[in-house]
Amino acid sequence: MNQAVLSADEVGVSYGGLRAVDGVSLTVAGGELHGVIGPNGAGKSTFMDALSGRCKLSAGSVSLGGEDVTGRSVQWRRRNGMSRSFQRTSVFPGLTVRDQLEFVADLTHETELDLVIEALGLGDFLDVTCSSISYGDQRSVDIAMALIGRPTVVLLDEPGAGLTKEESARMLDHIRGLCREREVAAVLVEHDVEGVFRVCDTITVLDRGVVIASGLPADVRADPQVISAYLGSEA
Amino acid sequence: MTTFSPPTEADQDPVPSGRPGARRGPRVSRRAWRAAAVVAVFVIGLGLPVVVSNPYYLGIATDGAVLGILALSIGFLASRCGLISLGHTTFFGLAAYTFAISTTNWGWAPLVAALFAVLVGSAVGALVGAAIVRTPGIGFLVLTLAIGQAFYQLSVQTALRPLTGTYDGIPIIYADGQTMLGRDQADMGDASQFWPIAWTVLIGFVVVVTLVTRSRFGRTIEAVRENEERARFSGLNTFTPRLLAFMLSATGASVAGVLFALKANYVSPNVFSFVTAGDSVIAALVGGWTTAVGPVIGAVLYVFGQSELGATGNLQLFTGIALVVTIAFLRTGIVGALTSLWSLARRVLLTRRTR
Repeated sequence: MNQAVLSADEVGVSYGGLRAVDGVSLTVAGGELHGVIGPNGAGKSTFMDALSGRCKLSAGSVSLGGEDVTGRSVQWRRRNGMSRSFQRTSVFPGLTVRDQLEFVADLTHETELDLVIEALGLGDFLDVTCSSISYGDQRSVDIAMALIGRPTVVLLDEPGAGLTKEESARMLDHIRGLCREREVAAVLVEHDVEGVFRVCDTITVLDRGVVIASGLPADVRADPQVISAYLGSEA
Repeated sequence: MTTFSPPTEADQDPVPSGRPGARRGPRVSRRAWRAAAVVAVFVIGLGLPVVVSNPYYLGIATDGAVLGILALSIGFLASRCGLISLGHTTFFGLAAYTFAISTTNWGWAPLVAALFAVLVGSAVGALVGAAIVRTPGIGFLVLTLAIGQAFYQLSVQTALRPLTGTYDGIPIIYADGQTMLGRDQADMGDASQFWPIAWTVLIGFVVVVTLVTRSRFGRTIEAVRENEERARFSGLNTFTPRLLAFMLSATGASVAGVLFALKANYVSPNVFSFVTAGDSVIAALVGGWTTAVGPVIGAVLYVFGQSELGATGNLQLFTGIALVVTIAFLRTGIVGALTSLWSLARRVLLTRRTR
């Protein structure tokens, strides 16, 4: 197993009296795809926000490549290897696909933009403004922007949201391929549970902000607490 | 047409061969044609006093050019950064006053005073920008309005009478024998003498704004406007490009302020007024701030309307109607609408030709 490049240690996020995330820890190595699943309101997206610096931690710390980055800005984290995509697609709607990919490539000193474009199938509409392409293609642009610049850690918040089951499966396969090929540590939040079990190396299950199970997919699937809280008895 | 619109395929800079989908084409010649067109417009424009001998209309043209620079600086900020300023008269007025004070009170040479005034306006622009460019939307608009009004009040303070003349303003008087670019003070008030200066600066500013817009920096500020959070998550410190854009805009307003003072040979607190700020925003909006020439056209129309309709006492009524019509029917302003119409006509013609 490669060395851990991302670690979260007892991360907590509170909104007033509500503890949206409470004492969540994980470690992800290069080339590893780590899934985070759980019912609605479990704190998955808040946890991603905590990892990426989008929200402040009320407890715990986040480390990137062994360095504590808890107080660092999102742009610092991006320049130092941590990128993310968003639950609601986040692109530059008025820019052409080419312009926005090159914009990110310039910032991150990416020299092999072609590979990302090819991997995500964006070559056909490079000169079209992003607002003119389908939601699924916008999703691909969003993920492409997260993968540009050879990040060491990618946080993917529901990359399959809004896609059909087939598109979602294809997207997860793309992501797995890119992570393996580029030795990227990835954290994946996704509602497509079967997809997560299929592509992820390790999985953490959250419920009401706390970890109820963590480990290899087979172990997590068999965990009685996970079955009771999330998967249901038929799983 | 000089526009802020994203460059078309033919306009793009050559993409390095390692870039995806690198394109090649007759860009150099197209660029050369465009440069030649700008030079031609510039030269033809310089000859305006030969064609238009009536000082009244020439005065409208010069005033339109000055207001056009102010409107373009506001339009650039609004269209590129999504920041609508009602306080650019701060820099316009500061530069005008600085020029007046340094020539009249301190006896500086007009050219040195003009450069110093632009520097002061730009420096204050940097300070104001650093304080407010992080504030989005309506907050930015209100802050700029408040800052403009604060400077207006400052200019009429009794304690500053020796410097600003309060409500009386400052009649500008050059020191003995001083000239500006070979013109004495009386010449500067003559529209035909002043026109070449105003026209040259206007064309220069339009070219600068267009080049900035089409540059990599232009793409950066557009990205920040489109989705600031995504820009930050792409590794960009979004404060710096916004501040730089604001500074460019403030410099434009300062240049306009100096030109105003040069032409009028007089400054008063009106240069800081909300009305001047509002008029400039309306001129930019009506002309169309998605294009570089739109605010200039809007400004010329505004000055013309002011001259023709001002005496009726209903200028603001007509201004309001123009604004309503623009917002309701011409979302990209007059020049934006004409550009769209031209594109449509070209498409129709090309389709017919290929049949």
